[in-house]
Amino acid sequence: MTTNANGLTVGIGFDVATRSASNRELQRDHWQALIARIDNVVDYVTLEDGFARAEGDGFDAVLLANWLAPRSRNIGIIAGAPVSFLEPFHVSTAIATLDFVSEGRAGLLVQRYAEVQAAQARRTLGELDGFPPAQVTALERDSLDTIEAIQRLWDSWEDGAIIRDRESQRFLDGSKLHYVNFEGAEFNILGPSITPRPPQGQPVTAVTYRKDEDPLIAAAADVVFLHLEAASIGDAVEKIRSSAASKAVVFVADITLEAGRQSTADLAAQIAGLARSGVSGIRLLLSDPTQQVAYLSNELLPVLRAALLLRSPANGSLRDRFALPAATNRFTAAA
Amino acid sequence: MAKKQVILGAQFPGVNNFTVWSDPAAGSQIEFSSFRHFAETVERGKFDFIFLAEGLRIREQKGRFHELDVAGRPNTLAILTALASITEHVGLIGTLTTTFNEPYPLARQLATLDLLSGGRAGWNVVTSPGAFTGANFRRGDHLPHGERYERAREFIEAARAIWRGGAFSVHSKHFDIAGRSQLAPLPQGTPVIAQAGDSDEGRELAASHADLIYSRHGSIEAGQAFYADVKKRLAKYGRSPDALKILPGAHFVIGDTKNDAEEKLHAIRLQQVSPKNAIAFLEQVWNRDLSNYDPDGPLPEIEPDVSGSRLAQGRANNQDIKSRLETARHWREIAARDRLSIRQLAIRVTARQHFVGTPESIADEIDRHVQADAADGFVFAPHLTPGGFDEFAEKVVPLLQERGVYRTEYQGETLRSNLGLAGPSSEAVPTGLAAVG
Repeated sequence: MTTNANGLTVGIGFDVATRSASNRELQRDHWQALIARIDNVVDYVTLEDGFARAEGDGFDAVLLANWLAPRSRNIGIIAGAPVSFLEPFHVSTAIATLDFVSEGRAGLLVQRYAEVQAAQARRTLGELDGFPPAQVTALERDSLDTIEAIQRLWDSWEDGAIIRDRESQRFLDGSKLHYVNFEGAEFNILGPSITPRPPQGQPVTAVTYRKDEDPLIAAAADVVFLHLEAASIGDAVEKIRSSAASKAVVFVADITLEAGRQSTADLAAQIAGLARSGVSGIRLLLSDPTQQVAYLSNELLPVLRAALLLRSPANGSLRDRFALPAATNRFTAAA
Repeated sequence: MAKKQVILGAQFPGVNNFTVWSDPAAGSQIEFSSFRHFAETVERGKFDFIFLAEGLRIREQKGRFHELDVAGRPNTLAILTALASITEHVGLIGTLTTTFNEPYPLARQLATLDLLSGGRAGWNVVTSPGAFTGANFRRGDHLPHGERYERAREFIEAARAIWRGGAFSVHSKHFDIAGRSQLAPLPQGTPVIAQAGDSDEGRELAASHADLIYSRHGSIEAGQAFYADVKKRLAKYGRSPDALKILPGAHFVIGDTKNDAEEKLHAIRLQQVSPKNAIAFLEQVWNRDLSNYDPDGPLPEIEPDVSGSRLAQGRANNQDIKSRLETARHWREIAARDRLSIRQLAIRVTARQHFVGTPESIADEIDRHVQADAADGFVFAPHLTPGGFDEFAEKVVPLLQERGVYRTEYQGETLRSNLGLAGPSSEAVPTGLAAVG
């Protein structure tokens, strides 16, 4: 294989719920076979969660990610969660656990619900204090709050908080645990986490950015999946980068594979174009995973690699793969 | 007549001073390799299930994070689902609160675990202290103390409605929810439900809604009394005595001889109750800073502080004011009578029921309790992570198998069937229970 350190990263996007309707034994076999096929082929997989979806909710994606992690060795696993309908504390510990189980390959895909989908999600919870109303401004604010709360919880144990010091009879150094004191629009979280700092320090936070969305949430993520026409990618990157306090450093273009609709040559040309538009990677969204994974590994990816468009899949943490800097701890830095 | 079969659960060593961290053999409590080692050993020993406790806030004492004991654990459902991936038969029971979860997200997660494990999911239903733990959750301290069990009962019923699949709609005092679940049918119909409360309310909830009760283990006579009491309650819910398994929590120390095992237990107790731990333990009852006292000296003569605020936070066994005074008086009596120091007293009064002896005597005792209807089995918690069951699986399990009271191979496909539970508990329990307790 030709190695290439400068090409695009490549990931695969699965919608978990679309597979969950089939026979349950087949479902396990399906996921087992799929992860085995893609483990060494792409950099990461994203698992879109179908929480409260009226046409079928399917597996909880964060738990599926934890099931897939011990069955894989290399691939990054970015688990989806519609965070405004969940407890940030539980999401934070579940992704930290995924990072322990996968030894540093974990990410969180922050999913945003709007309109009918948000209203349906709220109906599964009822009218509760602490959760945002199903209204666009409140949901956006809550997504931002949730990202901040989750990331603070990941920092709430410094590295080296566990000392096992027989001399002083202490297991923990309490000075290395921190209240996160998060105060948001709908909820407060005191902390610290119950889970120690995960291997990556900060697992990768990703969001999908769609046309005409407010760029603030994308700006709060490490990795942004741009679900846009190729022509509007440059403007979107500029808009997100220039929004206040933008942290987003990695931009990835979404390409939806439609079985039988696109020729390999057309796709290769499209991806070559994207490589010149300022993104550092592509995410291939699959509608029919079994068929399309075979096509990807047997045909499309070899062609893209031969054209030196893709970076060779790397080892190491998911942050490393996205060339994100090592995570610093806000509480250590403050000390 | 065939002998009653022993059920064995394996608790992953928890977050308290019972789990020894100062021993050279003590490994990580958080790395996945520890969970892998633990799960593989337990499955080799043909245990019925792995059991995880829950704590949703770091413990505090005297306004500081409690430093003396093991702390830092994974998300319960996430780690159980990861373990489902590397095991084939052993059940996976997680302790999950009904206070800081909502029925749809939690039921969906348990359904996911049940499907991905091929029918091995279990849920130990608990309630949480409000204000202290609530500080980490959206809804905060939302639930009056007296309504905890009521919410728990309604929560289980809501979860069952969701597990039936398709459209669900629940309108009760605590819930007003509707939606649609695609994850049915589940391999077990409903995941196995466990309950741990020892109060009258807890026993009643177990009798009406649970498949397992995780109880306290005392003498064989105390076990028989508890067993009879709980089993007797089943009839009014139309359930047979077999529909609820009674599993006390217990511990073991294995030695080459009885004396060897007793000596090992003594050494473990000294590790568990370090000098600072003994002081911290007394402080929970005295509700005062006792750090100036000598752990090897006599008990404080000063009385417990009976003002309202609590020194220790995040413990299940916090005592009320009246019992603090009584406990202090009682402990002083024991210490005076037997000439015990603070540390010796702490070791004495925090003693938990142990099976201590040779593999043969431990197998005997387990079997005796089960055949005498003091229990249907035990949930054992070892004092070491991750190797705490290595010796048990190698030496005690084969003896139970020789007696014909323990499986040599897993028989059922699901946790429910391995436990000898007939069918999904939703079929055994009339729905819409209104008058309980």
